[in-house]
Amino acid sequence: MSVWNPDNIKDVAESVGIASLSDAVVEELARDVDFRITQVLDEALKFMRHGKRTTLGTQDISNALRVLNVEPLFGYESTRPLRFGEASIGPGQPLYYVEDEEVDFEKLINSPLPKVPREITFTAHWLAVEGVQPSIPQNPTSSDSRHNDLLPKGIGANPYLAAVNGHDNVSVKPLVKHVLSKESIELYNKLSSALVDETNEEWRNAALASLRTDPGIHQLTTYLITFFAEKVTHNLKNIFILTQMMHATAALLSNPTIYLDPYIASIVPPVLTCLVGKHLGPSPSPATNTSSDSLLANGTAHTNPIAFFALRDLAASILTTIARRYSSTSATLKPRIARTCLKHFLDPAKPFGTHYGAIIGLTGIAGPEGVRLLVLPNLKLYDTILKEGLADDSRKLEAEMVVIAIMKGLEGLESSAGGRGGGFVVNGMEDLEGVRERLVEKVGEVVADRIVCSGREILVRAVLESDVNL
Amino acid sequence: MSGPPPGPGGPGSRSVSVSNGPPSAGMPPQQHMQQQQTNVPPPAGAQGGVQSQQNLNQIVLEYLSKKGYNRTEAMLRKESAHQDAEGRPIITRAEESGGAKYRGAYELLRSWIEDNLDLYKPELRRLMWPIFVYSFLDLVKEYYIKESEDFFSKYKGHFANERADEIRALSAIKLPQHLQDSHIAKIHAENKYRLTLSQMAFNSLIQFLESKEREGGGVIIAILTSHMQIFTVDRATIGNERSIAAILARATGDDDMPAEDEGIPGHNPGSANTDRNAPTILPKLALGPLPQEPELQDDVHAALQEEDAKNPPKPGQNSLVEEYEQRIKREPTDDVPTRDTVPLPPSLARDVAMEVQKVIEHRDRFKISGRTGGVGPGVSVTMFTFHNTFDSINCIDFSGDNLLVAAGMAESYVRVWSLEGNALPSPLDGPNTPPSSSRRLIGHSGPVYAVSFSPAIANPNASPSAPSTGPQYLLSCSADKTVRLWSLETWSCLVAYRSHDNPIWDVTWGPHGHYFLTGSHDRTARLWSTDHIEPLKMYVGHDNDVDCVAFHPNNAYVFTGSCDKTVRMWNISTGNALRLFTGHTGNVTAIACAPDGKTLASADDTGAIFLWDLEKGRRKKRMRGHGKGGVWSLSWSVESTVLVSGGADGTVRVWDGLLETSESAGGKVAAEGGAGQKIDAGKGGAGVVGQGGQGKKGGKEVGVSADQIGAFPTKKSPVYKVSFTRMNLVLAGGAYMP
Repeated sequence: MSVWNPDNIKDVAESVGIASLSDAVVEELARDVDFRITQVLDEALKFMRHGKRTTLGTQDISNALRVLNVEPLFGYESTRPLRFGEASIGPGQPLYYVEDEEVDFEKLINSPLPKVPREITFTAHWLAVEGVQPSIPQNPTSSDSRHNDLLPKGIGANPYLAAVNGHDNVSVKPLVKHVLSKESIELYNKLSSALVDETNEEWRNAALASLRTDPGIHQLTTYLITFFAEKVTHNLKNIFILTQMMHATAALLSNPTIYLDPYIASIVPPVLTCLVGKHLGPSPSPATNTSSDSLLANGTAHTNPIAFFALRDLAASILTTIARRYSSTSATLKPRIARTCLKHFLDPAKPFGTHYGAIIGLTGIAGPEGVRLLVLPNLKLYDTILKEGLADDSRKLEAEMVVIAIMKGLEGLESSAGGRGGGFVVNGMEDLEGVRERLVEKVGEVVADRIVCSGREILVRAVLESDVNL
Repeated sequence: MSGPPPGPGGPGSRSVSVSNGPPSAGMPPQQHMQQQQTNVPPPAGAQGGVQSQQNLNQIVLEYLSKKGYNRTEAMLRKESAHQDAEGRPIITRAEESGGAKYRGAYELLRSWIEDNLDLYKPELRRLMWPIFVYSFLDLVKEYYIKESEDFFSKYKGHFANERADEIRALSAIKLPQHLQDSHIAKIHAENKYRLTLSQMAFNSLIQFLESKEREGGGVIIAILTSHMQIFTVDRATIGNERSIAAILARATGDDDMPAEDEGIPGHNPGSANTDRNAPTILPKLALGPLPQEPELQDDVHAALQEEDAKNPPKPGQNSLVEEYEQRIKREPTDDVPTRDTVPLPPSLARDVAMEVQKVIEHRDRFKISGRTGGVGPGVSVTMFTFHNTFDSINCIDFSGDNLLVAAGMAESYVRVWSLEGNALPSPLDGPNTPPSSSRRLIGHSGPVYAVSFSPAIANPNASPSAPSTGPQYLLSCSADKTVRLWSLETWSCLVAYRSHDNPIWDVTWGPHGHYFLTGSHDRTARLWSTDHIEPLKMYVGHDNDVDCVAFHPNNAYVFTGSCDKTVRMWNISTGNALRLFTGHTGNVTAIACAPDGKTLASADDTGAIFLWDLEKGRRKKRMRGHGKGGVWSLSWSVESTVLVSGGADGTVRVWDGLLETSESAGGKVAAEGGAGQKIDAGKGGAGVVGQGGQGKKGGKEVGVSADQIGAFPTKKSPVYKVSFTRMNLVLAGGAYMP
């Protein structure tokens, strides 16, 4: 079995006039040709190596032949690749040959000279400075050189080297894959389907109960939280699912066996969405929530607010729980939520629903202090919006809800100030008109009227006193 | 009746090989012929012949028992017992099974080794390669062509990693006459393969072979006795290298390397004496620095005093004279060579200026200390990238004063550039010649394979009157079998040295100039002095091309590295080989001796770098990290603590020369075992991608040793030359290959 095809030997033999060669001789000769070619290649490789190249050229072969005292082959140059032509000498018998172009001498002489090749030049740059490779264009970027592979690793390796070479932030793949047991996967599938099952209340309750009490779902926490977030993001118009997710979140939060601290950051966003989301529940027409007054509120719009205000209430309470329970482990949690709520409250372009959510959120999270500091000073400005809303039939209901929310917040103020009794009652009754004036000055007409109507003196005083406290 | 059985004479199964071999007469040994004749029974009577044979025996036996010739009958029974039903002898010995015997024996040995204790496995595995080679060569010699090819292709895979070159060379051998032509076959035939085994391993091996003698053990024993030379040593004396800890540590990677004394050279470790009965004592070396002439010392002292007066030392600095007294000037001790062994021309003003500059540098340089925990020394590398070369640059050298760079071209000329872009004037120029910052030196008639600047030292604040310390000459060697000496003042050729019979691969100046060394395809290295056109000495002994040469810094020894995968150390004046270092698994592509004269670094084209302890003649360690394709250049820092290398994988790597790793001989093996994450060599360096198939071949994996301090990839530029300047900055040169 020689690499060299024995047929070639026969062809060559025929070309020099030896008509018949026995197969044994042919095979023997083919093996010998193999050997001689290897010898030439061995020498040629030496020339390649000393030329510090990694490709073997025709020049190497002719140098090798010269060293072996064999007449070198002429006519083969490395500068262009050899082109092989194919001719047929019969059916299925292709003949390959090196194409030798015919050159028109006249043309060659008269043709313009080829371009002078560019001069060899050299450039200098810093490959390394004090053991660190600078990132300049002349050096390969770390991405295309796979830097990390160049450095020694393992037990004997120097841990500082990577840092010196700027690879201290090497991303480390977790060594252990998070493997869920079959049972866990089954449980997750059951839970996720049961939670969003509109038809079967038992299922839903069972799922919620499981979330609330089951210690075994710890493995699933991340997956569940992701599931909640995803459902909330994709089902903003489906009050049922949103509510269900809030219930589930609440259930998870109330599970005493699960350590949720690391996940709070991912739990909060969906809850906030439900609290201050712009459009929650099926919006019959986008105009409902805009300032356009031409549209009459239809049936769904009437039922709508109740449902989604309930959702916002639920979200607010969850958020309050979170803020209360986890503010000790996450110092920035409360301020962050409060800031988000305040931003939404102060944005007049947002619908009342959002404002409602923001206010109850603020009330829940920051408590009376928060209401006094954050809500009260802005009520005067907000008054115009409220008035506008109350005047508009389609939005009246929502505006009412906001007012109720504000009142609730202010009541919190009242209860905190409740300890301080005083002789205001007498004064208040005497000077009701004067008090109203001051209240309007402070919180705007709508709210002032409400406060006066409620006739709660302590509240009035608390609202008015907040000024003093500031 | 006691004559030979009437059956066929030759061993039956040989017919298989004969039918495969050529039927042409004359080539096969005689027995084949005989067998061919005897083994072809007459076609018609084949069956009948067997029948009659059996019947005949039966008849004779009956006759004998009837007649009462009991003893004759017993004898006949006994003799006919070794024949099978068809009357052919039953083969019980592996030797008789023709070409298949080697395969059987090889399999036998292999399975036994693999079943052996882990303790002995690594050393016994070293047996497989020589057994493989000699089995194959014997098969070819005995004309079992078919079997030899089958045998070779079946088992070559076991050695593909370590012995790629040999496998390639052996694969060509197909016919008995090739054994004479093939270099590798000749070497193996004429020499005995030396291998060291520990006593216990050897004993159990022999025991096994003897017990299995019939199944193939005999074949192995025959190879061991006729082609190999097994040394047995006590396990304790081998030291750590074969301790159980080392073996366990190595178990993760299967990259075993040959022991230092294994192989064809058949030398004691380190010693270059290949005599079987050579004493194990190594010749003593004088590795200290060459003492200076007293006159030169006085001159330098005076010049330093002058320099001190001109530029008084900064506070905290030594004065130059103190520095000289403390560090440079040393009283002769017993390990320094005498100046008589290698006479040098009397020193000139230039030499004084150079010595003065050396002292200044010694005081002012950025010192690189060894890594003592923490981060290794930070080395700065300036890369000079050559563009538009079309792969025509063969070699690069930087001058010692860091002002010039020379490149030897495949197009037979040498080109010199000024690194700072200054004009390179020549007194021979006409008045109208425009100044140019590069010069072409034309004279060779073949590719230029090495260039070397004569020793020079940078002298940044030299006064115009001071003697120049720049390089005066440039040497170049070429495939046209000449070395040329070029003047860097007139930019013309001064001498062409002719004596080598074949292309010259490498040339280098001695550390003090005047002498230079060449290595050639004709398997010799030769020492020359510039004032003689004939070589002064020849260093003969390598079995293959001398690929690279280097001087010892004290001028008393020279080193050669060769394609035969050995590195040798020679006495410069006697031409005796003093040390022989084996262990490389590829062709040696670069060598460099540390400035302190105690350590030699050599690199091969598999990307491994070895450090050798010259005094003990032993391997210090192996350092891996370079991709396949060759490490083209090595250079030591002035303090001999840091080694820098550049190679075909387009990286410059910096190595800690002192740190002991798991691959050190006798290092702290257990503590550091398993160093080296596996990376794919083909993609390891940015430069090799797309540069021919060598890097990608087979996805061979290379680990990075723990003693690598840094690796700096270039943009698609193989690095041809790296060199530490005397101030410990690294210059690197390479050609951009888009």
